[in-house]
Amino acid sequence: MKKKNMLEYLLALLISVVLAMAVGALIMLATGHDPLEGYVLMFQGAFATQRALGNTLAKAATLCLTGLATAVAAQAGIFNVGGEGQLYLGAMASAVLGAKLAGMSPWIAVPLCLLAAMAAGGLYAWIPGVLKVKMKVDEVITTILLNTAAIYFCSYLANGPLKTMERGISSGTDSVDPAFMFDKLIRRSNLTESLFLTIIITVFIWYLMKKSTTGFQMKLTGQNGRFARYSGIKSDRLALLSMVISGAICGLVGMFEVFGLHKRFIVTVSNEFYFDGMLVAMIARYNPVGIILMSLFFGAMKIGGAAMELNAEIPSTLVVIIQSIIIFFMAAEGGVTTLLKERISRRRTAATLQKGDQA
Amino acid sequence: MNELASILNIGLLQNTLRTATPVVLCALGCLMTDHVGMMNIGCDGMMLIGAFAAVMGSWLGGSWMTGLLLALAIGLILGLFYGVFVIKLKSDEFIIGVALNIFAGGVTTFLLRELTGQSGTFHAPEGNLSVLPRLNAAWLDNIPVIGQIFNNNTLLVYVSWILVLVCWVLLYRTPAGFWFRSAGEHPQSLRSAGKSPEKMKYIASVLCGMLACLSGAHLSMGYLTTFSENMSNSRGFIAVACVIFGRSNPPKVFLAALLFGFIDALGMRLQTFGISSALTSTFPYIGTVLMMVLLVWRNEQKKKKLAVSGLR
Repeated sequence: MKKKNMLEYLLALLISVVLAMAVGALIMLATGHDPLEGYVLMFQGAFATQRALGNTLAKAATLCLTGLATAVAAQAGIFNVGGEGQLYLGAMASAVLGAKLAGMSPWIAVPLCLLAAMAAGGLYAWIPGVLKVKMKVDEVITTILLNTAAIYFCSYLANGPLKTMERGISSGTDSVDPAFMFDKLIRRSNLTESLFLTIIITVFIWYLMKKSTTGFQMKLTGQNGRFARYSGIKSDRLALLSMVISGAICGLVGMFEVFGLHKRFIVTVSNEFYFDGMLVAMIARYNPVGIILMSLFFGAMKIGGAAMELNAEIPSTLVVIIQSIIIFFMAAEGGVTTLLKERISRRRTAATLQKGDQA
Repeated sequence: MNELASILNIGLLQNTLRTATPVVLCALGCLMTDHVGMMNIGCDGMMLIGAFAAVMGSWLGGSWMTGLLLALAIGLILGLFYGVFVIKLKSDEFIIGVALNIFAGGVTTFLLRELTGQSGTFHAPEGNLSVLPRLNAAWLDNIPVIGQIFNNNTLLVYVSWILVLVCWVLLYRTPAGFWFRSAGEHPQSLRSAGKSPEKMKYIASVLCGMLACLSGAHLSMGYLTTFSENMSNSRGFIAVACVIFGRSNPPKVFLAALLFGFIDALGMRLQTFGISSALTSTFPYIGTVLMMVLLVWRNEQKKKKLAVSGLR
């Protein structure tokens, strides 16, 4: 981004966030809560204790990965809205393998589970990718529909053929070998060793998108597929590749949830994590660095929102409302600026005309 | 053969109509925006908000009519909202649609908690909620199969059939429909004819909002009889797929929605044969994806045939 555009973007972002928080405050007022108390609780809930900080970082890591997954596909001009399904399948595949490989050395088993999660997510993204590239079937609709299909299918597996025999577990697969689980980095928080993997993947995706030739070619494909083809870029293959990478990342997010927190596949392994990440990516305009920073902000809001619900009985879905309002403002930004500029220039012309009359 | 006959019974056809109706109504709205050159993927969220508004209106007003009116009013506002962003402010319709869907999930859950103090599924504290009436014609009962299928449906099922016809006439047999379609296909010529394409687009997005909310009302007051979180369950996207499949022509879109309803109903029917409901729930979604693939494949074949005949 050019410097002037960057400044304009940051200004728009700041205004959007402030306005959306103001709308959030109005909603709190209208429903009989104290907005100041709400936001203070939100801030404390996200940062006050070590545990809260750990949870915020863990949430930010998830948002960062799902956001990058959106961005890597969007850069090549293909929209992956199906990350939620890919996440579920990745979680399922790694959980099943993690239980099957029990007793094996973690140094072999965990990488195998990582690969299984990536393969499951990647393959499931490959289907709509191929349909888009080869047959021009709209990927937005197919990925969304495949989401719901995957979630139902995993729920079928977890309650049916793959249901654990363990007592006291009503739904879910067998638990993975405890030796495979990621250790906690901060006690009693959700922050686990998967953070290191997250950092590696983040750096890799940043390099891929911003520094590598492949990333540049993907960008050209996304901006102008025909031009890219004429200049000898295999745009179809790149679009498909970006889709598979996107799906593989989503699969990994699912695996991190299982191997970090749940020990097994459970139906509530994700709560629209992918859509949260997608919002982050959209707000950051698919810029990897922007996504990293923005996911910290939104991670804090998510964790703080949960604390706010606990302590002040303000529903945490208020955070979702604020997030989507930020998107509305950001999406309108371009239009609003043009309208304002038009008005200013019109006024200027009118002013100069008047001056001319007076002279 | 016997088993097949027991699967394909009249209940299956009744359920087909029942499950197809929300999709039909939403798809009619969606095809309006498609004709003026916008693809509203936010209609799933609009449907969810409509479902919520209908139940709240019915609960607070004490009658299904207030529920329906509130849903339509909210639909009008949502349609205008979408229109202002996409038409006036030239926002990306994909981003607005996605944001609208996420907003809908958040705002309905939030308001359910704040207005009623309940979460998950709404239970009217005073007992029963006033829901859409079912219509019966006594003379139809005398005809065996037809009577069973066409009687005893909720009001909006019949309304949706009428609306399919109305939309078709409006779009293909009136001057207004002609302006409508040219707003999407060739806005410049419409402008030179002295009509504003923007106005057509606004009308389309308002109609889309109202129809999507109407379909939500049927979902929460006809198909089911209460509101629960995320109850639209991607039906709005299936509606979009039906619009693509039926090429925005109301009767064809209606048939596509019926096909979806049939797959859905078949899945429900198979549950009585011991097949897991979670498994059969995947059918409509996978079926719709297959439908889209089939459509594109058929188009390609047609193109190839044309190319071959052109060579001769």
